[in-house]
Amino acid sequence: MSVTSFATPGTGAAPRPAPEAEGRAAGTLRRLFRSPLSGALTLVIALVLVAVAWPLLRWAVIDAVWYAPDPAACRAEGAGACWAVIVEKHRVILFGAFPYEQQWRGAVIVALWLGWALLTAPRLLPLAVRLGGWVVVFLVSLVLMRGGILGLAPVGTDLWGGLPLTFLIFGGTVAGGLPLAVALALGRRSDWPVISFLCAAFVECVRGFPLLVVLFFAALILPLFLPPELTIDKLLRAEIGMIVFFAAYAAEAVRGGLQALPDGQEEAAKALGMSYWLRLRKVVLPQAIAVALPALFNDIIRAFKNTTFFSILGLFDVLGATKAALQDPDWVRYGLEGYLFVFLLYFLICTGLSLYGRSIERDNLRRLRRAGE
Amino acid sequence: MSAPAVEISGLNKWFGPHHVLRDVSLGLGAGEKLVLCGPSGSGKSTLIRCIIGLESFQEGSVTLCGRRLDGTAAALRDVRAMSGMVFQSFNLFPHLTVLENLTIGPVHGRGMARAAAAERARELLARVRLSDQAAKYPGQLSGGQAQRVAIARTLMLAPRVLLFDEPTSALDPEMVHEVLEVMEELAAQGQSMIVVTHEMGFARRVADLVVFMDAGEIVEATDPESFFAAPRSPRAAEFVAQISHGD
Ligand SMILES: Nc1ncnc2c1ncn2[C@@H]1O[C@H](COP(=O)(O)OP(=O)(O)OP(=O)(O)O)[C@@H](O)[C@H]1O
Ligand SMILES: [Mg+2]
Repeated sequence: MSVTSFATPGTGAAPRPAPEAEGRAAGTLRRLFRSPLSGALTLVIALVLVAVAWPLLRWAVIDAVWYAPDPAACRAEGAGACWAVIVEKHRVILFGAFPYEQQWRGAVIVALWLGWALLTAPRLLPLAVRLGGWVVVFLVSLVLMRGGILGLAPVGTDLWGGLPLTFLIFGGTVAGGLPLAVALALGRRSDWPVISFLCAAFVECVRGFPLLVVLFFAALILPLFLPPELTIDKLLRAEIGMIVFFAAYAAEAVRGGLQALPDGQEEAAKALGMSYWLRLRKVVLPQAIAVALPALFNDIIRAFKNTTFFSILGLFDVLGATKAALQDPDWVRYGLEGYLFVFLLYFLICTGLSLYGRSIERDNLRRLRRAGE
Repeated sequence: MSAPAVEISGLNKWFGPHHVLRDVSLGLGAGEKLVLCGPSGSGKSTLIRCIIGLESFQEGSVTLCGRRLDGTAAALRDVRAMSGMVFQSFNLFPHLTVLENLTIGPVHGRGMARAAAAERARELLARVRLSDQAAKYPGQLSGGQAQRVAIARTLMLAPRVLLFDEPTSALDPEMVHEVLEVMEELAAQGQSMIVVTHEMGFARRVADLVVFMDAGEIVEATDPESFFAAPRSPRAAEFVAQISHGD
């Protein structure tokens, strides 16, 4: 039998550049009109999209009423979206029931948070500076909200509300919840059965309840069991509920990260004579948290959205404050516009968080990836 | 004559019902080199991990430079301060640069000044011929380079005893040589070491004593020439025949 396999030796040609690849736009266009049927479908779908988008655009932009001191303007014939409701109610939406003439304090808080977030997002400053900055921002926010010192009028937590309250609840949840999550995750892997059982039981119990139940328990039922001398502010109690709920989920994410770590890492650190805390701080946690990051950001974004649950306890976060603002009989019919605005706000912040998480992930990957890959 | 670097007597260890080290006794003289070999599963890794306290054991005693591992945290700390271990899988810290891999232990664990640690690290990297790699991350190194970094890392605190657990078995053949070369240089400088390896050439050139283990027991202990030329027990003979097959 003769051999049919073959190989042709090269002629020693000089290397040349790769042929030019088709551009992305050209490629898409070609695929959309690949055959007559496909082209027809593309046209039909485009027409439907335009038919839907055009009225939407008219309602939201072209015919919209942007500014009107009197709601009557929104009721005019052919008027579109009434964004005037947001202009009119923005103080209540953003700051809730906080005393009107003190609301500049809330504005400063919002500016501080957004400012520091934007400033630290590119991670040019060292981690310690960024974290320290957040601690300062948080403490300054608390002082501005509470008042009572530096000549600021005191404001009770029952009057706190709007975006500053949302930020404080969220910041407190992450700041208190992450360390607790790490402790729970480590505890669950402890060599001491009692500790690992307690941590596992805690996580499973909290995860077994809806957030609403946890919040109700913290805010309404817990005080019944506490001695009457010990009065903890309702906001603080609800915040503790949030922290516990967040930590139970985040603990599982961190535990996943710990499990992904090869045994050899701990062993090498031990053989180098590193103590438990040093190993934890410098070897184990940095790697475990890098692995857990996608899951952690999932929990962090959820924690931001969960701040809306506080309105059930009579504490007015942005959504709660918006709901309250839209009770005004003059403007009540423009609830859709009000809610759309709040949704946009949440969407922007959550998208920002998610982009930030992904950029940290990319950083980690670039560092851990092998050369040339 | 100074105290032996390592002294093990009557060591017995069980994993569950499995008796993996049986009455192991051996000593390593200061400045001497011991090569440990034997078939897979014979307990070589377990034995040297016991020396540095990565495994606990049920019976017997392990002493390193006069410090006995008595189960206390203080003894463990002292023993680990005087010894170093190189692993088959390198176990570099992937999130730190090569330089940080070397300095992290001494700086944070021993309070060595950063500048002094960095200087010593550069010195050691030069010794393993990796001066130009200090800023890289471990993932960007070849296996041979990674293992040489791992060796440099254990040398930061000038350990009195070095333990190697199959340092070249995860390497491609062309990289084995560069790692062995570094190890031989260390040996020539009088470093006490116990090396688990099947590299016959290395054992011949460097070992003062070759110890052959099988099924958790020391079967033979002799100088390299006689071990490889004329192993006494049939098990050792079979083992030598197997590992020389590839040469
Ligand atoms: N953590 C463990 N739990 C249970 N059994 C173990 C454990 N580690 C090792 N063993 C068992 O102990 C015995 C000795 O293992 P050890 O790793 O010391 O062998 P070795 O001589 O180093 O083998 P190799 O050449 O394959 O590395 C083996 O039978 C192994 O299955
Ligand atoms: Mg082994």
